[in-house]
Amino acid sequence: MTMTDTLQAVPPGHYTPRQVARSELAKIFTLRSTAITLGLAFVATLLVTGLVTNSALHHSPQYYFGFDPTQESLTGMITAALTGGVLGALLISSEYSSGTIRTTLAATPKRPVLLATKMAVTAALTVLFFELLSFLSFFLGEAILSGGGAPSASLASPGAARAVVMTGLFIALLVLMAFGFGLIFRSIAAAIAAFAGVVFVLPLVVHSISEHAVRYLPSNILTNSIMATVSQGPGGNQPLSPVVGLSMMVLYAAIPLAVGAVLFARRDA
Amino acid sequence: MITAHSLTKRYGAATAVDHLTFEVPSGVVTGFLGPNGSGKSTTMRMIMGLDVPDSGSALIGGQPYAELAWPLRQVGALLDAKAFHPGRTARSHLRWLALSNDIPLRRVDEVLDQVGLTAVAGRRAGKFSLGMGQRLGIAAALLGDPGVLLFDEPVNGLDPEGIRWVRHFLRDLAAEGRTVLVSSHLISEMSLTADRLVVIGRGRLIAETSVADFVARSGGGGVKLVTPDLAAFTTALGGAGATVDGDDGAGSLTVKGLTASQIGDLAAHHGLRVHELTPVTASLEDAFMELTQDEVEYRPSSMSGSTVVGEGLAVLGEMER
Repeated sequence: MTMTDTLQAVPPGHYTPRQVARSELAKIFTLRSTAITLGLAFVATLLVTGLVTNSALHHSPQYYFGFDPTQESLTGMITAALTGGVLGALLISSEYSSGTIRTTLAATPKRPVLLATKMAVTAALTVLFFELLSFLSFFLGEAILSGGGAPSASLASPGAARAVVMTGLFIALLVLMAFGFGLIFRSIAAAIAAFAGVVFVLPLVVHSISEHAVRYLPSNILTNSIMATVSQGPGGNQPLSPVVGLSMMVLYAAIPLAVGAVLFARRDA
Repeated sequence: MITAHSLTKRYGAATAVDHLTFEVPSGVVTGFLGPNGSGKSTTMRMIMGLDVPDSGSALIGGQPYAELAWPLRQVGALLDAKAFHPGRTARSHLRWLALSNDIPLRRVDEVLDQVGLTAVAGRRAGKFSLGMGQRLGIAAALLGDPGVLLFDEPVNGLDPEGIRWVRHFLRDLAAEGRTVLVSSHLISEMSLTADRLVVIGRGRLIAETSVADFVARSGGGGVKLVTPDLAAFTTALGGAGATVDGDDGAGSLTVKGLTASQIGDLAAHHGLRVHELTPVTASLEDAFMELTQDEVEYRPSSMSGSTVVGEGLAVLGEMER
């Protein structure tokens, strides 16, 4: 049209999810808060697993009736759920609190492409990290249990490998749920409050209304359906099966993500 | 080239931008002038696709912002003073931006050098002063060497040396053939930086014109005349087709429509005494005040040559007082 259009040699083609992914990765790895949160998750998880398994040593034989060494060695991952929630909320809402979101949208303005890539990068990284952590927690816990002479499991034990892999996935889904809350509320505090509400407060409320309904909540699914390899015993209040439980968690993550995505596409930045 | 066509943005009952139509051509600095809250930033955000207009459109080289192939290589923008994460270093901030548009990473150090932040490139941007943050924002805008640049209040927080630097550098960018839109509520700053003006008030277009034209059209300036023969002089001036303002009763007048020499000749012709005869050159600020003043007093429905919106000028009037 004018000189402007001939001034720059803009390369052919256009930006794609590849460029968005590279910049999102660079963003994640240049924030101290990411490193601190992940470091905290790492230390807290292994510490809790270490303490819990250690306290399960040297008991009378009755103590080990119904003892689930796999679940025991994954206990630390409950703290990972909390730090994961903080991480998920932080990854998106810190863009809003700092104003970076406007810079991000100026660089890559196609919102569906941006958000889908951002979610994919977040999902890939958290799956990788929490799977690793889940395995570490399991190996640490089992080493302590077997070293102390208590019943222990290996990945070959029935349900153990399934529990370890699913626990990592489950935490990653919790991270994505928190990411969805961050997208909706655009504030770290509000997103973490919503996350903590669903994961830690809702069970208390629901429990006082209906003991049966508790098994559908993320916190119960995590401990009783995902981490456990031994049936909780008789009674009508059986936990959901691992597959149903994980599917429920997919739903828990998908709802805030979908709502957040619709808002993200429409809202002024 | 930026074109805004009938851009409108409402926030609830308030209309922030009201059917705003203007063009920003390449090769000159276009000043975007208006008081605080007149809709400048909202307009710029709509150009950038950050805010969605309720109606109308804003195009860059004929395309909506979201359709740009390599946004940062086509448009550079400084919208917020601190649109970066405080925890990231200046260099990492520019690095992720470069990666997002496949911009060669050597550009990061080039622009850091260009804005004078090389020495603090490794420092966390949250520790930056407002002026340093502003420089980082400018570096980000320049990163992709874009043909279109938008700067919202770029001199905010800069020291006098920084202000001078921005002024020169905006003119240099325009001289290279780029499209430069720079907003400000500082009229005096605009008079030094801009060639063209888009003036808005309360979200509406007041004028779209050259700075020189804006000053001339306001009828600003004139000639200051001090005379003891007030009544006779006023009659003589009226006969010569001049207009007279500001008779303060102390014999001081502002005469418009005649040059100082013409007034002097007129005085000689009528045998009138002149104690002082001083041409007054209007500044952009004067022009602004002048337009505002006229508007508040007479509320004309139109002004020759461009769009005039009474309400907008009234707002500017309030702002200037």
